[in-house]
Amino acid sequence: MNTEPESKPDTLALTYAAWLTRLWLAVRAIQTGIEKFAGKAVSEEVVAIDGSPNDYGLTASSAEKAYSLDNYHGVPAALYDKFAGEPLIPGFFLKFYDWVLGPALLVLGLTILLGIASRTSLFLLGALYISLTWGLILLGEPGNAGVAWLAAHMILIVMALQLSRHNKLCVLKKW
Amino acid sequence: MNDSPTSLSRRRFIGSTGVAGAGLVLGAPGILKAAAAGGDAIHVALVGFGKQGEVLFNCLKNIPGLRFQAVCDISDWNRKKGMGQVRAVQGDLPKPYVDIDEMLATEKGLDVAIVATPDFWHSPHTVKCLEAGLHVYCEKMMSNTIDGARAMVHAAERTGKLCQIGHQRRSNPRYLYTYEQLIKGRNICGQIVNANAQWNRSLGASQDIGGDKLSKSIIVPDERLKQYGFEDMHQFLNWRLYHDLSGGPISDLGAHQIDIFNWFLGTQPKALFASGGHSYFKKREHFDNVMAIFDYDTPQGEVRAFYQVLTTTSAGGGFWESFMGTEATIKTAEIASSSAIYREDGAPSWDDLVEKGYLKRKPAPPKPQSSEGAVAAYESAAPEEYDLPGGFNKPAHQPHLENFFAAVRGEASLNCDAAHAFESEAPIFYVNPSAERKERIEFTQEQLSV
Repeated sequence: MNTEPESKPDTLALTYAAWLTRLWLAVRAIQTGIEKFAGKAVSEEVVAIDGSPNDYGLTASSAEKAYSLDNYHGVPAALYDKFAGEPLIPGFFLKFYDWVLGPALLVLGLTILLGIASRTSLFLLGALYISLTWGLILLGEPGNAGVAWLAAHMILIVMALQLSRHNKLCVLKKW
Repeated sequence: MNDSPTSLSRRRFIGSTGVAGAGLVLGAPGILKAAAAGGDAIHVALVGFGKQGEVLFNCLKNIPGLRFQAVCDISDWNRKKGMGQVRAVQGDLPKPYVDIDEMLATEKGLDVAIVATPDFWHSPHTVKCLEAGLHVYCEKMMSNTIDGARAMVHAAERTGKLCQIGHQRRSNPRYLYTYEQLIKGRNICGQIVNANAQWNRSLGASQDIGGDKLSKSIIVPDERLKQYGFEDMHQFLNWRLYHDLSGGPISDLGAHQIDIFNWFLGTQPKALFASGGHSYFKKREHFDNVMAIFDYDTPQGEVRAFYQVLTTTSAGGGFWESFMGTEATIKTAEIASSSAIYREDGAPSWDDLVEKGYLKRKPAPPKPQSSEGAVAAYESAAPEEYDLPGGFNKPAHQPHLENFFAAVRGEASLNCDAAHAFESEAPIFYVNPSAERKERIEFTQEQLSV
């Protein structure tokens, strides 16, 4: 009979693994949410010629990245147009989804980062990524690169859920 | 702008300038405008929602006061795409149509049609819409045949409706400024003796669209394809490659820039010689490479204009037009970074123009080391480089569409109505015949007039 004692799991390594997956998913969600408020602050001035504004509308412009509520676009414009043409996506749902996507990413990213109901937050983030996957499947994206990209996120979420027992430093352990 | 002779408004400038060549007014299409349409929304039908239709829609959605009432396209894929994009803009779906006749018979209250169908449908579609009482914005080339283009002019005259042709550079603020202020107003080129333009497209960008295996969703049923003049999906996706459906690269790409020759030089050419060949794409019906020389008589004197459209290289920086005068060369392009103005060594100083803001001086490039010996004696000094004082921050087609809708509202005149577009496009119809017959063509008035 084998009398060697069973090897103990390396709990420190598992804790680090839990933190890394938690941090990655949180950063990914939070920054993606923030970027939905990003836009370009374009300053455009009509060029003066011979002391007067020109009649042609020639302008000198500069554009800088800026964040504001007015810039908010949950679903990127190019994708929104395509989704709007999908008969399986009702108009009201698309509008709601567009409205909720950015805030949802921010809230779930923060709850995962702070460890608030981590398992439920991870589950909801996974559900959100599934909804994005469904949209990309509907659009018939060539090569399905976006679907594969989201699948990588799902693998990380599953890993984070598996590691949840080792997820220390949480504000709310429950759920 | 002040009232100095060089800062006339566009309309006043046109009214006060004589134009050479068969009584033409190539630079002055601002004749037609509709009666004021009031403050109500303009009801628009989108006829053709392929790639170009989408380009136009991406401009149209920035123009206030439009209501997209119908989308017509024989392709389910295109139609669905158009409907989705309209819904994204106005919140509800437009009426879908496969057939334009059905659309015109069914839809009430349409004001305008935007025609972006393949070239061989431009004329029939435009004429139908004009006769149905709609104003029409139709993509260039007006038609794949000169008689088709003539029919559009006649229909516009007969119906009294507006018909703008999509030579969008005619409304581009940078082109307008260059023409009115720099070439005509201040004559900074001196005598323009030569012009040169090109549209060179790389091999990669010149390949056939589609492939052996098409996605089910984009396939148009055979019966429908044949009903609308296409043999198969290859023809439908690649109509630009076929004799009966388009004029080939010289009309598809060249039309934009040869139009600028005619606009800026203020007249039609008096003669043409062209050469072309199936140099790489052996099986295509149209020439894949075409070079053409147009001879002009302008009030300043003779001008020779060389144009090339090559579908096997992007050499030379893609697409641009260049007007070479004794004192300066102006290179215009839709892409602002491809534009430049070069002052010849010895030309009058432009310091005053720079100081007043008419031009911007570009930083001087480092001086090349002078060549040795006898060669140096024949070298010209490098010209100084300048730029326009500003640009504009809109999609390229938007100002032209804005001009069209302003004309529909009775607030402006068309910058490129069908009659003037015809004058500019007419010589282009003779490029392929000249290349095929290897013959110089001396134009007659009958050939170039409506």
